[in-house]
Amino acid sequence: MQPLLPFLEHQTRRAFFKSTGLAAGRIAFASLAFPELFREAQAQTRTRAHAGLPGLPHFAPKARRLIYLFMNGAPSQIDLWDYKPKLGELYDADLPDSIRNGQRLTTMTSGQKRFPIAPSIYRFAQHGQCGAMVSELLPHTAQVVDELAVIRTVYTEAINHDPASTFILTGNQVPGKPSIGAWLSYGLGSEAEDLPAFVVMTPRWSAKRDAQALYQRLWGAGFLPSRHQGVALRSSGDPVLYLNNPPGMDAASRRSMLDGLAKLNQASFERSGDPETQTRIAQYEMAFRMQTSIPGLADISAEPKSVLELYGPEVTQPGTFAASALLARRLVERGVRVVQILHREWDHHTDLPRDLPLQCRDVDQACKGLILDLKQRGLLEDTLVVWGGEFGRTVYCQGELRHDNYGRDHHPRCYTMWMAGGGIRGGTVFGETDDFSYNIVRDPVHIRDLNATILNQMGIDHNRLTYNFLGLDQKLTGTEAPATPVKAILA
Amino acid sequence: MEPRAANAKSRFSLGLRAAAAVLGGTAILACGATNPPVQFNREIRPVLADTCFPCHGFDAGKRKADLRLDTLEGATAIHKGRQAVKGGDLEGSELWRRISSTDPKTAMPPPEAKRRLKPAEIGLLRQWIESGAAYQKHWSFEPPVRPELPAVNKSGWARNEVDDFILAALESKGLEPSPEAPAEALARRVTLDLTGLPPTPREVEAYLADPGPRAYERLVDRLLESPRYGEQMARYWLDVARYGDTHGMHIDNERAIWAYRDWVVSAFNGNLPFDQFTTWQLAGDLLPKPSREQFVASGFNRCNLSTSEGGAIDEEFQVRYAVDRVATTSTTWLGLTMGCAACHDHKFDPVSQKEFYQMCAIFNNISENAMDGNALLPPPSLALPSPEQQKQSEELAARAAELQKALDQTVAGLAYTDPASLTNVPKPAAKEIVWVEDDFPPGADVTVSGGNEPNKWVTKAEGPVFSGERAIERAGKGVHQVFFSKCASPLAIGGGDKLFAYVYLDAKDPPRAIMLQYHTDEWRNRANWGDADAIPFGAKGTTEKVQIGELPETGKWVRLEVSAARLGLRAGSKVTGVAFTQFDGKAYWDKAGLVSVNDPAQDPDRSLAAWEKQERESAEASTGPQEIKDLLKKAPAKLEAEDRRKLRAYYLASVYADPQSPVAPLRAQTKLIKEKREALEKEIPSTMISRELDKPRPTWVRIRGQYDKHGELVGPGVPAILPPLPAGEATNRLALARWLTDPKHPLTARVTVNRFWQQFFGIGIVKTSEDFGARGEWPSHPELLDWLAGEFIRSGWDVKHTVRRLVTSAAYRQDSRVSPKLWALDPENRLLARGPRYRLDAEELRDYALCVSGLLDLKMGGRGVRPYQPPGIWEAVGYTTSNTAKYSQDHGEALYRRSLYIFWKRTAPPPSLTTLDAPTREQCWARRERTDTPLQALVMMNDPQYFEAARQLGYRMWHEGGADDASRLAYGFKLATARPPGPQESAVLMETLAAQRARYGADAQAARKLVAVGESPVPTDLPAAELAAYAVVGNLLLNLDEVVTKN
Repeated sequence: MQPLLPFLEHQTRRAFFKSTGLAAGRIAFASLAFPELFREAQAQTRTRAHAGLPGLPHFAPKARRLIYLFMNGAPSQIDLWDYKPKLGELYDADLPDSIRNGQRLTTMTSGQKRFPIAPSIYRFAQHGQCGAMVSELLPHTAQVVDELAVIRTVYTEAINHDPASTFILTGNQVPGKPSIGAWLSYGLGSEAEDLPAFVVMTPRWSAKRDAQALYQRLWGAGFLPSRHQGVALRSSGDPVLYLNNPPGMDAASRRSMLDGLAKLNQASFERSGDPETQTRIAQYEMAFRMQTSIPGLADISAEPKSVLELYGPEVTQPGTFAASALLARRLVERGVRVVQILHREWDHHTDLPRDLPLQCRDVDQACKGLILDLKQRGLLEDTLVVWGGEFGRTVYCQGELRHDNYGRDHHPRCYTMWMAGGGIRGGTVFGETDDFSYNIVRDPVHIRDLNATILNQMGIDHNRLTYNFLGLDQKLTGTEAPATPVKAILA
Repeated sequence: MEPRAANAKSRFSLGLRAAAAVLGGTAILACGATNPPVQFNREIRPVLADTCFPCHGFDAGKRKADLRLDTLEGATAIHKGRQAVKGGDLEGSELWRRISSTDPKTAMPPPEAKRRLKPAEIGLLRQWIESGAAYQKHWSFEPPVRPELPAVNKSGWARNEVDDFILAALESKGLEPSPEAPAEALARRVTLDLTGLPPTPREVEAYLADPGPRAYERLVDRLLESPRYGEQMARYWLDVARYGDTHGMHIDNERAIWAYRDWVVSAFNGNLPFDQFTTWQLAGDLLPKPSREQFVASGFNRCNLSTSEGGAIDEEFQVRYAVDRVATTSTTWLGLTMGCAACHDHKFDPVSQKEFYQMCAIFNNISENAMDGNALLPPPSLALPSPEQQKQSEELAARAAELQKALDQTVAGLAYTDPASLTNVPKPAAKEIVWVEDDFPPGADVTVSGGNEPNKWVTKAEGPVFSGERAIERAGKGVHQVFFSKCASPLAIGGGDKLFAYVYLDAKDPPRAIMLQYHTDEWRNRANWGDADAIPFGAKGTTEKVQIGELPETGKWVRLEVSAARLGLRAGSKVTGVAFTQFDGKAYWDKAGLVSVNDPAQDPDRSLAAWEKQERESAEASTGPQEIKDLLKKAPAKLEAEDRRKLRAYYLASVYADPQSPVAPLRAQTKLIKEKREALEKEIPSTMISRELDKPRPTWVRIRGQYDKHGELVGPGVPAILPPLPAGEATNRLALARWLTDPKHPLTARVTVNRFWQQFFGIGIVKTSEDFGARGEWPSHPELLDWLAGEFIRSGWDVKHTVRRLVTSAAYRQDSRVSPKLWALDPENRLLARGPRYRLDAEELRDYALCVSGLLDLKMGGRGVRPYQPPGIWEAVGYTTSNTAKYSQDHGEALYRRSLYIFWKRTAPPPSLTTLDAPTREQCWARRERTDTPLQALVMMNDPQYFEAARQLGYRMWHEGGADDASRLAYGFKLATARPPGPQESAVLMETLAAQRARYGADAQAARKLVAVGESPVPTDLPAAELAAYAVVGNLLLNLDEVVTKN
C-alpha cells in the first residue's frame, strides 16, 4: 500500500470516531447505529482507495468510460469494412509482386506457390448520412454508422496472435506490461461504488472451429499494483470470483462474522498502530457491499423490453456477446471505468464464408444496441466505444480458392477498427488503403496512435501517464517510437 | 511529507521521484542531524539521471548539443568557450546558468520537458558545484569496501554487526530502537519467515519453556534445518527464475521442468554455496562431467516463455529467448535493467546496445529449437530415473542386448531362400474378390456416423455409378463415414494381396480427405488420401494411418489400391469390415474388395525382394532403424555386398514372418522387452535442461531491437563498466558464471543479500531490488549493504549463515508496534526503529490456512498439483486444443499440498494466488507488490480451500480444544495466532459463536450445506449446526489481521 493513504484513512477514521464520541473499537456498532455517518466515513476511505493520480486527467476528458469490444483472432477487414470493388475482376489472379513488396508472411502461407486474390463474396452498400460502405454481414452496425469513426488504416508489426494481441492491448509484444484498462484504473481511478474499476467479459462464440487462446495478461496489471488488473465478470458460477458466500451461509451470518472480525481487527490496530489494519477493515466492508451490488448488476429483469430488443434475442442468454454488451452498459452506468469484452475466434484461415457470418451474427446487433442504448441514456457522449482485433487478413487466399469458399492469412499492414462516442466524430471514414487492402495509401494509424487516441479521449496525455519500472518511465504507448492521437476522427 | 509519501508507492512523476530520492537522503535518513556534505552519488546523480541524462547521458543516439553530463569529462568539456560544470565556480558553470534561468529560450530543462527541477534540487546542485562538483562512478559499480563498524551510543542493544549499522543510523536521527517483540510474536515471525508456515502451539510452548540465553538462536538453527526452509527460500527464487509449468505463450501447453523447482528446494536445504548455486543454474551443463543435479539446475535458462505458434518465425523467437535470458540474468545477479538496451543504448546506465548483444551472444547457443513444438519436453532434456528405475533400465537393456545377439547369430545361420528368386515356380493368377457391389456383404452390421443418414445408395439415374446398378453417396461436414464389421464372409489376406475400392469425388464439393479403414479384431489398419490431419483416426506414420497420397482427381471414377501388407495386414489376416470415411464434402463409393494373389514371391512378409520393393515405394517413413532406411534409399544397383547382408539380417530378424522360423520366439521376446522398456521410459520423469551448440549461432546487434534488422556481428562479452571476464577461458555461460561469482564483482553479492534483506524486512536496503542502476533507489544503509555483501563472500557464499545473521539481529527481533509519530516519520520502516510488519504472501496465506487446520500435506516435489479452482478459469482463455485448456482438479492429498507445488499455467495462473499479488511468472520478478483489496477479502472468506480449512479448524477447536466453548475458542485462537486471546478477544469470539450457533441451529439444512464445503470427510461426531458455527469462527480466525500479517 501507498503509505500515505492508510495514514490519511487512519486519521479520517480517528477523527470520525472522535467526533461522534464513539470508542474506536465499536465500528460494528457504529455501522448499525449510525448507518449514515458510517457510510460517510466509509465513503471517504472509499473515494481515496479508488482515486486516480493527482493531476489526472491532464485535460478535460471527452470520455469518462471506455467499452472495448475486442474481436480476438482478427476479423477480415476486406469482408466487413474495407470495400474493394476492383477485386471482383481479379478473382484467382496473382497478387502483384509490386503490392506484396516482399512483405513478411506467416509460415502458414509462406510455402504457398501462389497468392491468388480472393475478392469478398459479400455485398457492400452505402449507409447513413455519411454514406460509409458496410458489408451485408453487419446489417445492424450499418444502421449506426453515423455514430462511428471507421479507421481503415490501423497497422501493427506483430503477425501472430499471441504477440499481436499482447501488443495492442498492453503496448508491447513481450508479456509483462499493464493492459489499457489497468493503466486507466491506475491513472484515473474508479468512480464506481462497490465495483472494480476495470471489468472483463469473455463471451462464447459461434464459429465452428478451435478458438485462439486468450491470455490473462491481456487484462493484467503488469508491473502496476495488482488491484488494477481487470476483474472477470463471469456468466456462470460466481459473477466475480469468490463473490458468493459458501453454500449455506447467508448475508446475516457473514455480517455477524464480519462484525466480530472488525472488532478483533480494531483491537489489533490498537496494539500495533499499523494503519494498514484500518485499510484492511475497510476492504472487508467493501467486499461485503460487493456481495450485494454485483448480483444486482447481473439481474436484468427490470430492463424494459424495448431496451432488450435493441441488443437482439440472445441478450437474455447469459454468456452471449449480446448479454455481455448489455452488462457493459449497466457497468459503465454504475461508474465502472473500463469494460472490455473479448469475443474469440475470428481467425479464418479457411472456410471464412462458413464462420465469418456466424461471428458477425454474434456481435452485430448487440454493437448497434449498445450504441443506441448508451445514446438514449445520454451516456454515449462521454463513453468511448472501440471495436476491432489484433491485425487484419490478407486479400489473397490461404489454401484452395473457390468461388464460394476461401480463407485468409494474417495481415498486419492494414486493417479496420472503429470508435464511437466519447468525443469521436461520428460518420467519419478515415484512412485509405490500396485496391487490394494490402498497403496503406493515406493516413496510417499505428496501434500506438490508436492507444494514444484512447488515452487522449480519456483526458490523458499518453506521454505523461508513466510508471517507473526497471528504471524506465514506462507507458502504454511504449518508449520506442512516438505516438500521436488521431485528431481527424475527433469531434 | 507529501512528496515523499507519494514516492513510496506511485512513482509516476519524475519530478516527484527525484525530489523523493533527494529527500530520502536528507529528510528521512538525515533528519535530526546536520546535513552531511553533498555526495554526487547520493544526492546529485539521481537528479541528473532523471532530469538531464535522457538528453545528456550515455545514449549517444539521443544526446543533445553534444553535451554529456554523466561523466566528469563530458561535464567539464569546453563547448563554445563555456563548460557545463566548473567545480567551485558557480558563474563559470553553464549548467547553473541554465537551471537558474527564467528565460524560456535558455532555461534547462526546456519548457516542453515534463521533467522539472524543484527548488530543493536546484539548491543541491548549487551546493555541489560550489563544493567542487566532484564526480563518482555510480555507487554500485564500485567494488564494495569493507566498512568499519560505526560507533554507537546505546550499548547492549546490538546483537550482531547488522545492528551497529541500524542503530547508528537511528541515533543519527535521534531515534530509539523498539524493545524486543513478545516471545510468541517473535517465534511466529521467524518461523513464518524461515519456513513459510506458522509455528504449532507446541513449538511456541517449547520455545517459551526454553530458559537458556540462546533459546532464540536454537529455534533459528532448528528452523534452518527444516525441509520447509528450502521450500520457503525456493518460493522467492522461483519468482526471479520465472518458473512455470506451461510454455506461457499461445497454446500454452504443459512443460516438464518441475525437477528444476525441486532442485532449487534441495539446494537451499543443502545450503549449496551461492556461487555454486549460481554456476550450476547458468552453466551446470558446461561444468566438467556435469552431475545430474548440475544438468537439472541448468533448467534455469529454460524457464523463459516459448512458443510454437503457427506462422511464427524462428529467428524472431531465437532473439527473443536470448533477450529474455540476458534480462533475467542481469536482473537476478546484476540488479541491472539491461533489457532496456535491447533496442538502443541504455538511457541511464552505461550499457550500450552492442554490449547488450554481446551478453546475448553468451546465451544464444543453447541447443533448443526456436519452436518448442508445444511439447512436454522440448529438447534438450534429461531423463531422471530413480535408482530403482535405473537398475531396471539397465537390466532390460542387458536382456535386449542378449536377445539381439541371439537373433544375430540365429539369422546368420538361417537358410533362407527368397521365394521371388525361384524361377521355376508357376506364378499364381491374380483374382479379384469383390466384397461390396450394389450392397454390403451378408451379415455386415452397417453403421453410419456423421453426414447424410441413413446410408444412401444412388442409381445410375441419380448419380455416378461405376459398375453394377448403384453406388454409395456420402456428403457431410467434418468426419463422416459408412462402415461395417463382423462380416460373416471375411476377406482372407494372402501374400502380395491388394485391397481396392472405387471412388468418385464431387468436383464442386470434394472432401478434404478420404480414408479406407479395415477391421480385423479392431480398427487398426487405415489408408488415407488428402489432408493427413483432417481425419483424426490413428497415429500418423504407423500402419494405423498410412498416408498414400493426394486426393484423387475429382469428377471421375478412380480406383484406390493399396497393398495389404503396407497397411500391416499380413498373410493370414482376416478382414471383417471396411469403412468408407471422408472429411467434409461429397463422394461416391463403388465396388470394393481384394485382389488376391497369394503369391509368396509378392508377399513382403515372405520375400525380401517384395519387402524391399514395398519399402522403397512407401511414401511414409519406414519404421526400421535409420541405417536400414538409409540403405533402402540407395539405388539397388549401388548396394554393396555388406549392405545386402545388413538388409537380409534385418529382414530376417525383424520382418520375415514364418512362424516356423527359429527367429519367431526370439522376436516375441524382443518385442516384450521393448514394450517393458517403453513402459519404463514413460514412468521416468524428465526435465528441460541447457546444452550448448557445438557451433555457436552468430549474434548480431538488432537495430531497434527488431529481429530482422541485423546490425554489427558481435562476439560474447560483458559491459565495459564492469570488471572483465576471466581471461584464458572460452567466453561462454560458464565464464559468465565465474565472472559473476568472482569475489571482486561489485554487484552479485550486493544484489543477492539485498533480496534476502527484502525477504525478511519487507523492503530491500536498496528498495528497487531489481535496479541498482542510476534510476534505482539509493541504499538506505549503504555501508550495511556493503558489509553484508563482503561478509557473504567471505563466508564462502554461505546462504544459511547470512540468513541466520539477519534473523538473529536485534533489528529483526524488535516489536513491530508503531506510534503515530514514528509512522509519520518513517511509514515504510526503512530505518527499522521497529520490527517488520506486513501482509503475508499469497502462498504463505494458503499454506497457513492448511497448516492450522491440520489439512496440510507435506509431501515434497513432483509434478504440479491442481487444487480447487473455480470452474472456467482455464477454459475462458485456453486454446481449444491446448492440453491445459481444461482444468481437471485433483483429489485427495493433492488438494492440500504446499502452494509451491501448485501447477502454474502462465496464461491463467491460479486466481486465488494472483489476487494476492503473486506474479504471473511470465518474466523475472524480483519484488512483489503488496496490495490490499476487497477481492482479496473475498478469496480469504469464500474460496473453498480457505473455507474448508476454516471448517477443519472449527472441528479442531471443538475436538481438541477442551470441554467448553471458552477453552475451545482460546485453543483455536492460539492455533491461528500463536498466542492466547485476551479477555475482550474471547468475548468477541463467544459472541460470534453464539450468533452463528443460533443461526445454524435454526436451519439444519444450511448447516449441512456449509459443512460440506471441501472434499475432506465431514466429521460426524458433532451436530452439523455445531460444526457450522465453529467453522464460521474458524473463517473469522483465518481472516484476522493478526493472522494474515507477519507481525
